Order: sequence, then C-alpha cells, then structure tokens
Amino acid sequence: MNQKRKIKIAILLGMMCMFLTLGICIQINTVKNSTTTVGRTLVENELRDSVLRWKQKYENAYYKLEREEEELANLRQKVSSKDNNASNLSSKLEKYNELLGNTEVTGKGIEITLKDGDSSILKNSANNLVVHDGDILEVVNALKNAKAEAISVNDQRIVSTTAITCVGNVVKINGEKVGAPFVIKAVGNPSMLLGAVTMTGGYIEILENDGVDVNIKQVEKEKESITIPKYNGIYKLEYGTIYE
Amino acid sequence: MNGKITMTISIGCTALILTMVMFTQFKTVGETDITAIETMRETELRAELASWKSKYEEIETKIEEREKTIGEYNSELENNQNSLKILENEVKEAESYLGYTALKGEGIVVTLKDNEIYNIDHTDLLRLVNELKVAGAEAVSINDERIIGASEITEINNRIIVVNTKRIAGPYVVKAIGDKKYFESALTIKGGYIDEITGSGKDIEYNVQDNIVVPAYEG
Repeated sequence: MNQKRKIKIAILLGMMCMFLTLGICIQINTVKNSTTTVGRTLVENELRDSVLRWKQKYENAYYKLEREEEELANLRQKVSSKDNNASNLSSKLEKYNELLGNTEVTGKGIEITLKDGDSSILKNSANNLVVHDGDILEVVNALKNAKAEAISVNDQRIVSTTAITCVGNVVKINGEKVGAPFVIKAVGNPSMLLGAVTMTGGYIEILENDGVDVNIKQVEKEKESITIPKYNGIYKLEYGTIYE
Repeated sequence: MNGKITMTISIGCTALILTMVMFTQFKTVGETDITAIETMRETELRAELASWKSKYEEIETKIEEREKTIGEYNSELENNQNSLKILENEVKEAESYLGYTALKGEGIVVTLKDNEIYNIDHTDLLRLVNELKVAGAEAVSINDERIIGASEITEINNRIIVVNTKRIAGPYVVKAIGDKKYFESALTIKGGYIDEITGSGKDIEYNVQDNIVVPAYEG
C-alpha cells in the first residue's frame, strides 16, 4: 500500500516537472522572439524614416540644381547675344550637354522589351530564362555599335559612367534599382538599330534561344516618336585631373 | 526498493526530456542567426540610406559650383566685360566629362592576354569596363582607345576586337582612373571578375598605380 502510493507520487512529480520545464522553455522562446522582432522593426522603421528624409533632401537639392542650370542657360544666352565668339562657345556647350545626356531626347528609333521567359512552357534551365545584367549590357553595346544617339533602360539614361550590375537578384543601373520587364529604348536610325540587334548570331537571337521573352517595336514615324529621359545623376572628377 | 527504482526512472526521464528541449532551443536560436533575414533587411536599408546621403552630398557640391559660375557671369555682366573666360571654362569642364581631354590620376591597369587555348573576347572587355565603372571609374581606355558614352566594344568574325570603330589586338591594356583601392577590391573579391576570368582559363594581370594617364577620345 505504502509502496504503491510512493510510485504514484513519484510519477506525478516527474510529470509535473516535465510540463513545468516545457512551459518555461516555450515561454522563454516566445519572449525572446517577440522582443527581438519588436526591436528590429523599431530600428527598421527609424531607418526607413531617415531614408525617406534623405531622399526628400536629395530631391529638393536636385530641383534647386535644375533651376540653376536654367539660370546658367539664360546667362549664357545673354552673354552670347553680344559676342560672336561667346555665341559659338555657347552653342558648343549646348551640344556637349546633349552628348552628356543632360537633355531629354525625342525621335525615331526602337524599343526592345526583355522579359523573363516562362519556365512552364520551355524546358530550359531557369537561369537561361532570366534576363541578366550582362544581357542588358550586350544589347546596349549592340545599340551603341549601331550609332544610337541616346539609350535608356527603364528610363535610366545610359551615359559614359553608367554601370549595369546585379545585386542579389536586383538589377541596378546608374545605382538605381530597375526591375523586369526591361524596356530598352534607343533613338537613332531605326533600321540600323534593328539590324544590329536582330542579325543572325546577334544578341537578340541568343536571348530568344535561351527562352527570354523578347519584344521589339520599331518607331519610324515622327508622330509616335520615342522619348528618352535625361540623365539624373551628376558628373564629377575626384581622382582625375585634366592632363595637357 | 521498488519505489527507489521507479523514482530514479522517472527523474531520469524528466532529465532526458529537459535536455532534449534545451537542445532544440539551442538549435532554433542557432538557425535564426544563420538565416538572419531580418538583419539583412536592416543592412539593405542602411545601404540605401548611405547611397541617398552620398547622392545628396554630390549634388550639393554641384550646386555650389553652379552658384559660383552664376556669380561669375553676373559680375562680368555688371562690369560689361565679355564672359569668354567663364564660357571657356564651362566648355573645358564638359569636355573633361565627355572624354575629349586626357586625364591623369590614381587608378588601375588591367592586362588581359590571349593564351594558347583561350582568346579574350569582347564580352570579357565589356564586362571589365562595366566592373570598373561600378567601382567609380572616371575615365577608362582600352589600348589607349578612350571609352566614352557612345563607345562600343565589339568583335568581327568572333576574332578581331573593335573599339570606337578601330581594330585592336591583344594584349589588351585597360586603364582606369579612380579610387585604386576600390578598384582592386572590386576586381579581386571572391567570385568577382578576376576569379571568373582565371576560372575560365584566361590570363589576367593588374597593378594599381598613382599616376595613370588615360588619353583623350579621338573621334
């Protein structure tokens, strides 16, 4: 009788201990998780706020710079109205600014849209179906080869310092994130541009063979012309000096 | 006697379960540290913040420059002087950005060579130039052909490399002006450009220098 009671008490004690431990453990776990997420979201929210603040500051500064560029253009015009040499320099500068991508460009040309292929239709490996930074680089290069006057990818103007990269699975152009579908616009001779990208062995053929979804629109009429935005970055020389 | 055995067994069982729970706990904590999705988002935000800050600072410097030029024009106009000098400076500045003037400064010289098995192709050069631009190159040339905004890097018959409509031959010497340390780390990073080129059996050499001259574009 005494023995049986002892056994019962021992089992009861053991089970109680077990539940208690389990409870404590779960509790600790939950508490730990919740505090860290709250802490993290707090930090993240603060960061998001400052990102927005600095973006706003940048946008204001950009607006100010644009006003100043306009003022400079006016001043140049004022100066050139009196002097022939000044007027020559002034128009040279205007041409240079166009070449630097500091102006919006409108005209005939082509528009190429690259989209990731559909893996359910094609049996190609998923990697081939995806549009990579290198693909955009090659298409842009082919368009340059066909004497494109201005090129943009998803409204990022391609200029001399433009880099096209991949960070994780995000493509960045001019340091800005751009996502698929990639719309590559080029102003220039439409048939020359089209020929350069669609020729046999050309890069569009390679992409189509990979299963990438390619769509090309040729704009030959002035009416439905292509518009390419101006470069929204700035040029600077920090390491290089003019060498004469 | 019997009771003692039962007691020992039950205590043993509890201890066992306790240890198991503890281990599970440790494992979960360890796993969250490895994946760290939450922290990655934080780093991403920090990178974003840094990028906006530097963009803002860049534009502020530009605004200062422009304000100075505006002031110069205004004072010249007031004194009825001709403003040719200011215009000339503006033209010169634009030319330096366009690649119409030679630039000198610190940077990197990368040499790509054909070997017995593999030839350097235009994509190798195109990608190298792109990598250098990512690292902030202010001027780039390939075999003294200055790379400007409109420059193409192509290949005829999959053999001859053409830059600025001119044929060039190996060894391909690519010069870039910019932060030399940044260039070096950008190229030598694990799985980066140099790893990829050597991995595909091609030859590459580089050295960082303090005084590199990248020639002007000759159209």
